[in-house]
Amino acid sequence: MLQVAEGTSQGKTSRRTGRRLFLGIRRTFSLIFASRTATVGFFIVAFWVSAAVFAPLLTPYSPTYQDWKAPNQGPSAAHPLGTDELGRDLWARLLYGARIVLVVLPVSQDLWLPGGTALWGVAASLALGAFLGLVSGYKGGWIDEVVMRLLDAMMAVPVILLYLIFVAAMGASAVNVVLAIAIVGTPGIARLVRGLTLDIRTRDYVRAAETRGESPWYVMFVEILPNAKGPIIIDAMLRVGYAIFAMGTLGFLGLGLPPPSPDWGSMVAKGREFILAGSPWAALWPSVAIASLVVGLNLLADGLREEAMRYQ
Amino acid sequence: MSPSSPSKDCLLEVEHLFVSYKTRKGWISAVKDVSFSIGPGETLGLVGESGCGKSTVAFSLVNFLGSNGRIVSGSIRFEGSELVGRSRRELNRLRGNRISMVYQNPMSALNPTLRIGEQLAEVLTCHRQMPKAEARDRAAAMLRRVYMPDPEQVMARYPHQLSGGQQQRVVIAMAMLNRPALLIMDEPTTALDVTVEAAVLDLVEDLKEEYGTSILFITHNLGVVARVSDKLCVMYAGEVVEQGPMETVFTHAAHPYTRGLLGCVPRLGSTKKVFSLEPIPGRVPAPWERPDDACVFAPRCRHALDSCRQQKPPWLDVRPGHGARCLLAVDLTEKPLQLRGGPSGPTDAHMETPEEDHPLLQMQDVRVYYEQRKTSLRSLFGLGGKDFVRAVDRVSLSVFRGRTLGIVGESGCGKSSLLKAIIGLEKLNGGRLEFLGVDIGKTVRHRDLEVIREIQMVFQNPDATLNPSYSVGKQIARPIRRFRTVPKGQVRAEVVRLLQAVRLGPEYYDRYPRQLSGGEKQRVGIARALASRPDLVLCDEPVSALDVSVQAAVLNLLMEIQRELGTTLLFIAHDLSVVRYFSDDVAVMYLGQIVERGPAEAIYAPPYHPYTEALLSAVPIPDPSARQKRIRLGGNVPSPLDPPSGCRFHTRCPRRDLLGNESHLCEQEPPPWRRAGQNHFIACHIPLETLTALDPVLHQVS
Amino acid sequence: MLVFILRRMLLLLLTMLLVSVAVFLITEASPGNVARNVLGSFVTPEQEASFLNQLGLDDPAPVRYLHWLVGSDWRGSRLVGLPLKRLVTEKGFVEWWARLPDGNLVRWKLDGDNLIAQIRRPDGAVEEVPDNGRWRKRADGSSYFWGLDAHNRAVLWEKGTKRKAWVFVVGSGWKEVSGGAMDYLPLKKGFLRGDPGVSLRTGRPVAKSLFIRLRNSLVLAGIAFAVVMPLALALGIAAGLREGSALDRSLSVGGMVFSVIPEFAMGIFLILIFALWLGWLPGATVFGEKAPWQRPDMLVLPVLTLTLIELGYVLRITRASMVEVMRSPYIRTAFIKGLPYRRVIFKHAVRNALIAPITVIMLHVNWLLGGIVVVEVVFGYPGLGKYLLDSALYKDINALEAGAMIMVVAAVGTQLVADILYTFLNPRIRYR
Repeated sequence: MLQVAEGTSQGKTSRRTGRRLFLGIRRTFSLIFASRTATVGFFIVAFWVSAAVFAPLLTPYSPTYQDWKAPNQGPSAAHPLGTDELGRDLWARLLYGARIVLVVLPVSQDLWLPGGTALWGVAASLALGAFLGLVSGYKGGWIDEVVMRLLDAMMAVPVILLYLIFVAAMGASAVNVVLAIAIVGTPGIARLVRGLTLDIRTRDYVRAAETRGESPWYVMFVEILPNAKGPIIIDAMLRVGYAIFAMGTLGFLGLGLPPPSPDWGSMVAKGREFILAGSPWAALWPSVAIASLVVGLNLLADGLREEAMRYQ
Repeated sequence: MSPSSPSKDCLLEVEHLFVSYKTRKGWISAVKDVSFSIGPGETLGLVGESGCGKSTVAFSLVNFLGSNGRIVSGSIRFEGSELVGRSRRELNRLRGNRISMVYQNPMSALNPTLRIGEQLAEVLTCHRQMPKAEARDRAAAMLRRVYMPDPEQVMARYPHQLSGGQQQRVVIAMAMLNRPALLIMDEPTTALDVTVEAAVLDLVEDLKEEYGTSILFITHNLGVVARVSDKLCVMYAGEVVEQGPMETVFTHAAHPYTRGLLGCVPRLGSTKKVFSLEPIPGRVPAPWERPDDACVFAPRCRHALDSCRQQKPPWLDVRPGHGARCLLAVDLTEKPLQLRGGPSGPTDAHMETPEEDHPLLQMQDVRVYYEQRKTSLRSLFGLGGKDFVRAVDRVSLSVFRGRTLGIVGESGCGKSSLLKAIIGLEKLNGGRLEFLGVDIGKTVRHRDLEVIREIQMVFQNPDATLNPSYSVGKQIARPIRRFRTVPKGQVRAEVVRLLQAVRLGPEYYDRYPRQLSGGEKQRVGIARALASRPDLVLCDEPVSALDVSVQAAVLNLLMEIQRELGTTLLFIAHDLSVVRYFSDDVAVMYLGQIVERGPAEAIYAPPYHPYTEALLSAVPIPDPSARQKRIRLGGNVPSPLDPPSGCRFHTRCPRRDLLGNESHLCEQEPPPWRRAGQNHFIACHIPLETLTALDPVLHQVS
Repeated sequence: MLVFILRRMLLLLLTMLLVSVAVFLITEASPGNVARNVLGSFVTPEQEASFLNQLGLDDPAPVRYLHWLVGSDWRGSRLVGLPLKRLVTEKGFVEWWARLPDGNLVRWKLDGDNLIAQIRRPDGAVEEVPDNGRWRKRADGSSYFWGLDAHNRAVLWEKGTKRKAWVFVVGSGWKEVSGGAMDYLPLKKGFLRGDPGVSLRTGRPVAKSLFIRLRNSLVLAGIAFAVVMPLALALGIAAGLREGSALDRSLSVGGMVFSVIPEFAMGIFLILIFALWLGWLPGATVFGEKAPWQRPDMLVLPVLTLTLIELGYVLRITRASMVEVMRSPYIRTAFIKGLPYRRVIFKHAVRNALIAPITVIMLHVNWLLGGIVVVEVVFGYPGLGKYLLDSALYKDINALEAGAMIMVVAAVGTQLVADILYTFLNPRIRYR
């Protein structure tokens, strides 16, 4: 990386960096609030993020506590959203479900990593996809040919088939869901980054770096990548939406997190059986939750993209 | 206050036109109080730098300003009737019929999915309810009229199948189909090569004569405007600053801006030894920075008085039909333009005679080929043969220390590829590159750091030359650190020194590229190239993307640096005037090969290579008193995939008949190098005596 | 053009090959096996081994993949020493027979130590004759014979081994049989030769059940497609023409909201509204023996779910493309030529604006397939997607492979169509 420090005071540098960060955040917020759709999306997403973070404070119930005396109930004072077929509180299950999506990744019984399942999936595909895209876009030639043909073949396979085969074969667990999301997401990100790289690498500043004899890694990661970050961030945001979508779908198909995890998709699948018996709540609430979160993320990303485009 | 008195016989009269655009900052006026008129058969040249509102004026004439623009006030009278406030339906009857338009980029102006014939014929079928067959015949006839070979065939093609020059002919034909009274041409030749531009300008003149059409000709190029227009209207920052008959404006410019513009373009005949360019300081203010109560040019004006900054100067007529918006107009118009300043280049005697045996950089038979994949069935399995684009084919040149070598040629001639090969971005397919006697034929990855340090480059596009993610200081510091030019602790001081060397203050250290103007970015790019203290700096069209007034400043800067540091420059450009002005030695390139090389003075007088002669006769000269021979090239540039045999220029050479019976030589054998003087060589079959006997291309009419 | 199509065809084949290998490998590597899925978790190890042996699942994986791909009859024929013939009876059952040198077809069964040949006459009548002459001797003196049995398997019989085995017959359960069958090779022609094999889960030929499922899915997707395309293109163009208007904003925001809601959530909402609350339509699909088009009321909700989701996507793509085209210089040229508004839109803008969406929509089929699976599960619709899901959960390899191949062909095939359409619509590519 390029460095600012001139052997003068280190504090000055970090203060400058801090100020830049602050300005960046302020700019982002002013971008968000300039667009109505982004604002709406932001509040929906913020609602679910805080619900997930503060889940234990927002409900007295555990997501797995079964009240066998009150199964399949509608909303009441005791259970604000009702209960499922085993008498578990739906509001509590929703909150803890949001945790799995957005805040923690349950690797095993004892190991829970920070960062939600959806976020890990996107982060993994982002890292792998950006790397492949950068290398194949910048290097070109046979590397590009091989990587792109492989990704083409991967993209040609229907996404649902990848999910089905992968999770069905590897078994249902949070880690496998992350892997599935990462594998499915990688080709798209790689293509996006490759496209950006192909564009940026023709710029004169890249050529200037090359004429200085900089290494390919320097050119890729220092000269090219920072200039591709805008579209990548927007894309990542959309992809978090897709990842939540995919998690829900997997759960619904019985390929999500194993029970009794409060997985939204599985909740819908279970609750579906009781709809026509007259208890729609257990299917309705998780459907609403997942739909609102995905829509919120998309509104945010879409509004931001539009605003950023107008900004330029 | 009106610059032109209203008269009955005006075709178009624009009066006090104000146009605004809605942006995030609110309504912003792009055009303020613009008035002009065009008589029947007259051509008005509208000149100015980018962002001065020329195109806005053009589009407001047909009231097509997009969803965010509108005419705030003023009047546009065309053939006696008012256009402002008319409905779309009424305007539609005029558009494409009485008023038509030709655009800067013909490729994007034509619909990519419709055949040419259909796009032409619909103008007739829609406006005149003409039957289709008749419309097609008329369209074909018009294509023939604009000298398009094979009109019938062209009608069946799609736009992308034509060359840029042909596309522009189609657009012109489309505009002329209904014999409009007014033709608006918005930078019609800017996207074209010089030789194509000359042919298109000839066509415009012919059409004007034949149909008596009035033309509003918009351009930033003073040479072009001198060629085509009768009257001149100079715009600056959304306002008309001077207006008058073309020749009078050129000889007796009354506004400091006009005078400034004329002072910063090199004339074709002049070199840095006899004439220094005078740039206009500063930059064109953004639309929201333009004062309503002061002269908008005052901040950049050398003559500005206090009163210029306190009130808007009134329009002053200095003679009938010639006026300017300047308090000093009357004084200035009588002052002759100081176009023969002192020399600005190095004049040391030793510079005149290069040391023949010790060139800094030597190219010998340099070849750069690009592989092109064939689209055949065999290639599917990797079996097919390979095609090569011969971008650079056997080029031998020498660059001498402390001098400037200019390479000139039209787009696609291979000059950029040659540059890339020298800097090591392209692999050599043959030949030898020597820097101070050391072989540097390898790509930059395999070169020694020391060699890399010695050769640096300045790039063309100011918007792409700097990485938008880092501050100016960091970008200049990077090469300093990489090549360890100074000890670590002094890097910042070195950056500041370099900034000062390119006439930028230390406050630029922390700025980001988005905060700089084009000229400033280009300066930073130069500072970055100088940071490693190179011996040789390659300049890839460093000024062609800049406005004229900024161009001069950057050229001057490069010359000053050369004088101070003794840096050797290799300069490529498509603009002959700039190359001639700036370089000590010139090489002319055509289709991957050098056709003529020699000292700058020698290249511009007979004997010429026939291609050089054609180039010289095509360059638009910003001087109405200069006359050029009219030599035009036929046909298209052949594909470098399969270049012509023998002399590559023989398919288009206008002088081939000079050889008489020997002309088959041109097709069969590569031309010999003929020595026309000390260090002056021409690659041509035509004997030197014949070439020397030709008239010079340029002469002055006084 | 031809080169291009050939190229894509090659890519399709390559993808199919890769996917089939991948499916095979992944199913292979995964924990849990078919036997437990089919037989339940209370099988004894012997039963499991016997079951795997009978289905040929105890062969090494590469061999099984080869059998699946190019068939096993050639290997069976070598073992038996006679050419084999595949018959399809009038009832649609598949039968494998060996062909005797005299032209008659033959199978065998073991009765005690006696080998009995069942010979099929040309008129279809079957005659049983003892055929002990076929026993061969090994060096240790035991006798063996490779023949065909009535369950379309090549079987290795050994004389004198009174081994008992549990045979699981799909449909009727476990049966204890005795005899000397030591090894089995189920016969099939292989996927490449048009035989995807027998479903391990149901015991029925995959091709047969898959056909009905595919038809059902095509009905669902077809109707949705026919509704979505014209509507979405028209709305998209209308929105794009009035960029920034209220119509545009509501269509594009609404389209986005609908297109990102997961299919199952959308399905649940629709069921709640139309089946539970309004009571207008059935909330699940039960066709029984009927074809989907015989119960249109049951089709409405699945089609509506797919439509709502796809509509938004196509609409937004079309709108974006239209907006871009309307800003382009050649549209400006068309207006300044003085052409009437309608002509500018329909002659100049629409065609250019449709180039991008049509190809993007075709590429979206990949995504649509996922939607179909989910919608079929939500509504219990007996289509390909549900079949595939069940097969995947069961590790029913033959069914899974076949379903996967259909999906790949659908996805890559539409991409090929998209590419051809693109070239056709875009003269810049057509006339290079």
